[in-house]
Amino acid sequence: MTIHTEPLKSVSDIERTTPMTPFPGRIATFLGGRRWRSLAPLAVLIVLCVLIAIANPNFIELRNLVRLANSAAVPLTLAMGLTFIILMGSIDLAVEGTLSVAAMVLVLLAANDGNGNDYGWWAVLAAIAAGTAMGFVSGLIQTMLRIPSFMGTLGMWFIGLGLSVYMLGGTAIKLNDASIRDLALHRFLGLPVAVWVAFGAFLLATVIQYHTKLGRHILAIGGDEDVAKLSGVNVVRVRITAFALAGFFFGIAGVLAAAQLGQSHAVIGDGRLFAAVTAVVVGGTALTGGEGGVVNTLIGVLIVTVLANGMILLGISPYIQQTVQGLMIIAAVALSLDRVRLKIVK
Amino acid sequence: MNDTKNFAVNRRTLMMGATAGVAALAMPSVLRAQDKPTLVTSIRSLSNPYHAVWKTGAEAYAKWAGLEHVTLVSEGNSEKGIADIKAMLAKTGGNMVLNSDPNDTPDARPIVEACAKAGAYVVTQWNKPGDLHPKDFNPNYVSHIEFDGIDSGKTIAEILFKTIGGKGGIVALGGLISTTAAIERKKGLDAALAANPDIKLLDFQVANWKSTEAFDLMGNLLTRFGDDIKGIWAANDDMGSGALEALRAENLAGKVPIVGVDGIKTAVDAVRTGEFACTVTSDPFWQGGMGLAIGYNAKIGKFDPTKEPPEHREFYGKAVLISHDNVEEYYKTNVDAKPEIDWNDLWGRVTGAIRT
Repeated sequence: MTIHTEPLKSVSDIERTTPMTPFPGRIATFLGGRRWRSLAPLAVLIVLCVLIAIANPNFIELRNLVRLANSAAVPLTLAMGLTFIILMGSIDLAVEGTLSVAAMVLVLLAANDGNGNDYGWWAVLAAIAAGTAMGFVSGLIQTMLRIPSFMGTLGMWFIGLGLSVYMLGGTAIKLNDASIRDLALHRFLGLPVAVWVAFGAFLLATVIQYHTKLGRHILAIGGDEDVAKLSGVNVVRVRITAFALAGFFFGIAGVLAAAQLGQSHAVIGDGRLFAAVTAVVVGGTALTGGEGGVVNTLIGVLIVTVLANGMILLGISPYIQQTVQGLMIIAAVALSLDRVRLKIVK
Repeated sequence: MNDTKNFAVNRRTLMMGATAGVAALAMPSVLRAQDKPTLVTSIRSLSNPYHAVWKTGAEAYAKWAGLEHVTLVSEGNSEKGIADIKAMLAKTGGNMVLNSDPNDTPDARPIVEACAKAGAYVVTQWNKPGDLHPKDFNPNYVSHIEFDGIDSGKTIAEILFKTIGGKGGIVALGGLISTTAAIERKKGLDAALAANPDIKLLDFQVANWKSTEAFDLMGNLLTRFGDDIKGIWAANDDMGSGALEALRAENLAGKVPIVGVDGIKTAVDAVRTGEFACTVTSDPFWQGGMGLAIGYNAKIGKFDPTKEPPEHREFYGKAVLISHDNVEEYYKTNVDAKPEIDWNDLWGRVTGAIRT
């Protein structure tokens, strides 16, 4: 048995010596490399804010900043959960289904206009538990049945959607519990409670990612699963836990969404998956896994929210708003992702 | 001898009786199959309140008429919608009455052609190509029903303008840009604006028929226009209720009136509390039941479609306006209880032939 004595090249060394470095990558390297690139999303956010504020000073009004925070609350909570999955190099497409199940459980157990239940805040716990359970099942499907997360969670998406259509009977059920609605309507220090909840979710996600073994293992699996496995990471357990954790965040988002709208119907999650994935990717977390994190995602969510708000403030025609959003996604990813390291672009 | 004779007679009687018995058992089932067609409802999905109410209307009519009823759901997939209808035609041997809200405009043609070929009777609602006419498929294609979107958009706009005192700024939330209903309702709004020069349309934005999108959008519009917004025109109630929650988060609910279309329960509740000024509904309960009633009556020969005037073959139904004046009455008869509709009054809600 021979032992390698030659020291392994560090990843950054390989990167610098790759002859095929694409042009924008070379510019980025010239300007300071990865450090610069990791700050790109923040720079985009600042430039965006400055431009919009110049065009319409109403943008920096306190009232508008509160509104911005409010409309970022649900996407932020969702994107927190999704970040862990994408960091692992997997994907969770069950965002909309899980959110809709959590919102459905919430309205059906709290005071509502469809049945006689009134379990108050137990309904909130049940909703979050339902979200977590959905994620747990996704994790089991991926690891035990060995089905790729793309397919497994696609299935869970429709299972969740079907479940809430069935339970809600196709109609919108109103949420009548005043204390739960206060999540959206009551303000604490000038901000709706939902914003504080979302901020709490962000803090929790930060702690999990940077200060727990789970967080480090998730990152390790995303970086290189084989290496992680060889160094003793229980990949199966980490994957299942990560999916359950994502479901937990989706459950919280479901509660917030139902509280904001004062009702729930099966399609309450429509379009949320796209928004969440966009926010994670625009923030600079690589879809290939192992790079980025929840702080990036916070910036990503803010970019997406500020952009939507800004386009209305600037009076951009609804007919071209989507196009601008598409351009924005491509630009942000081009700037922030370390594509030099990607050997193959799929 | 007697015993044998008796036995022979008995045997013959027995055999004849058995034959008669079999025939008697068989004939009514043949007759029943001819008499009682299956009622079939084909709609887009059951995950929206509109089609859910449509289905209850269809079931109410089927129960009233004592007929079997089947609901087909296309889930927004045209191919599935058409394939399911063809499967039902095969299963019933064409002995059915179909009330269909085709998923997309071009779908109406294959649906009608398949029904005509199988001898089934069909009524379509909302979507059909302009060059497809019931009279070209006599007698199987009985009627096509729509609701005048221009009229709805204009009616609610006028009520909104009156509520805010005839002057000031409003914002409008439109539906999915490519849908006919969205385009027509906006035309109605434009017509009302043209007639009221003191009303200013501050901005027209699109929330794709969804309350969640309208919620975020309304927050942004409040930033841009603030107190200049005196009223909100929404192309449907779901978006209107999203806008209402955005107002509520800023303590503005009830201060800025909203109008919408569809008559969903949330909107009816909001009309009661004064947060909505009005909503209009095409009454999906009526659409679900009456579409089947018209087809069934043609099928059993109560009327001959070929002899009906054009405004009975392609017509606009009458939309029901729900405003402060009639909301309590409406609530009592439509929300608290299942609505009572005279299913024999086939043409009671015809308001005229469809514009071409």
